[in-house]
Amino acid sequence: MAEMWISMGPQHPMTHGLWTLKVKVDGETVVDTEPDLGYIHRGVEKICESRDFTQITTYCDRLCYASANTWSHAYIYAAEDLLGVEVPERAEYIRLVAVELQRLASHLMWLGAYGPDIGNLSVMVWCLREREMMMDLLQELGGSRMHYNFPRVGGVKRDLPHGFAMRARHKLSLFLDRIQEYESLFDESTIFLVRSQGVGYAKPEEMINHGVSGPNLRAGGVNHDIRTSHPYSVYSELDWTPAVERSSIKGADCYDRYRIRVEEMRQSADLVLQALDKMPGGAETYHEPGDSKILAKAPSRAPEGTSGSHHFEDSRGESMFYIAGGGEGRGKMPYRVSIRSPMFITIPYASKCMIGYKVADIPAIMGSFDPCIGETDR
Amino acid sequence: MSVISQESQISSAEDLAKKLDSIDGVSSFVDQRSSGTQIRPVVKLQVTPENWREVAESLYVDYAVDYCSMITGIHWPDSKDKNWEIIYHFLRTGVKNPPHSDGVVQPIITNNSELKGSDVPLELEVTIHLGDTRTPSVASVQDIWVGADWNEKETWDLVGIDFEGHHGMRRVLQPHETPKGYHPLQKQHKLRYHNFQEMYDDAQGFKRKPVDSERVK
Repeated sequence: MAEMWISMGPQHPMTHGLWTLKVKVDGETVVDTEPDLGYIHRGVEKICESRDFTQITTYCDRLCYASANTWSHAYIYAAEDLLGVEVPERAEYIRLVAVELQRLASHLMWLGAYGPDIGNLSVMVWCLREREMMMDLLQELGGSRMHYNFPRVGGVKRDLPHGFAMRARHKLSLFLDRIQEYESLFDESTIFLVRSQGVGYAKPEEMINHGVSGPNLRAGGVNHDIRTSHPYSVYSELDWTPAVERSSIKGADCYDRYRIRVEEMRQSADLVLQALDKMPGGAETYHEPGDSKILAKAPSRAPEGTSGSHHFEDSRGESMFYIAGGGEGRGKMPYRVSIRSPMFITIPYASKCMIGYKVADIPAIMGSFDPCIGETDR
Repeated sequence: MSVISQESQISSAEDLAKKLDSIDGVSSFVDQRSSGTQIRPVVKLQVTPENWREVAESLYVDYAVDYCSMITGIHWPDSKDKNWEIIYHFLRTGVKNPPHSDGVVQPIITNNSELKGSDVPLELEVTIHLGDTRTPSVASVQDIWVGADWNEKETWDLVGIDFEGHHGMRRVLQPHETPKGYHPLQKQHKLRYHNFQEMYDDAQGFKRKPVDSERVK
């Protein structure tokens, strides 16, 4: 049979956003793929060159709608490196709580979307119900439902509100029980197992060379987590080891990538609980916004020749910011902001993983890598 | 405790910087970067564009730098010593290929705080300066780290720095029909309403004009 190219996207349920996957098929078999991105390129890097360091946080929130907090924190760490700010310890603990709650919300969003991708419709409602609990907690911190604009250069916007720790402990203990419900919904669903097991193998050694990171990499049995290998924040104070999946000899399949995210959810919930217990000054005390316990003073200008960078473990892999100082207004704005998006690097690799499988496997494989197009196109 | 210790990271960064400094055309030192409440070391390399390809191969083969994180291109039209700057961020992940047994991968879960020598994960930052040229270009490392592939495509697309030997260069973030030679992160392209003071002082927008209104059609 003759081979031909077909276009999946830009509007297609598989894409989880706006992009095109060109697929070369021979009958039902995928022979070659070519991703085509850039449909929602907003030019964030260029816009940042005419905004000062506080204003940029807002733009970084909007890089990914499912994981806003991790992106603004990734930026803030790079900006603090550039401006040379030392952050109060309590602020670091609050940030850790915010980031890990966001990671939970992001993984739940992924799990809820991945079920319908491969024919398990009921699970979506269950996951979004629990995601709503995390959103409520994050709303208490940031004030809005999805784009929190929570971190500040030198600390955080506000302290944990009264009763936050109690509500967080209650909701997380409820959530930890309910994870077992998802596992039974997925692991006992025949259609889920048939469509995810043995599909979309990704080899660990290839993944490192291709720049794949985060849960996708750890699903292949590789113990690489920015939180432990390039420690930032207060992860070193807590007692934990990154979750690593025991995949098959052929590499990580879609089922392994599902397992690792469920394990990570357990771990994030545990990290939040530990951080609430260990918080300096106690999780129940409240400081007014701007108090030196939660916000350090930061310079507003960075002279030319300075630079700041930071690797950050995002929900989808390793995100990174590089900022060069010395822009307009005598250094009030950055000269250049460069963003590493984990999905921009992973999507080309995920597309290569599909070669040899059937057309019907494409949604299962692509969905399992957790694509987010907002951050990919920037 | 699974987190890597600061002392071992700093000492192994200094070891690596000392070794890299002896290569031709490379100057290397350890920079102390901050990260919230902590200090972290970054091995910085300054490489000449002629030597870059050789140095890159050596980094991959001899020094186990296995992961390309990001490539940044910067346009400095007004600077004295450099007009174009390319910054590579690498990680030495220090992970080994996990062993198999009974058809299942057995992950190596080491205690990170006990890692030593070349197993310690490190950050590297490679800087290359290019002189005054209208066609900036540097050797591609796409075949060494496949992760550099789309980073190079993006750098060419947005900044206009070309990579010699890059296979399949094309527009990735901008539309395919973007005019040849248009790279928006070059500094001659100004954002409209660049002066934000003007925007806020003139809330009605009577006086507001794009800063490049005379030059752009």
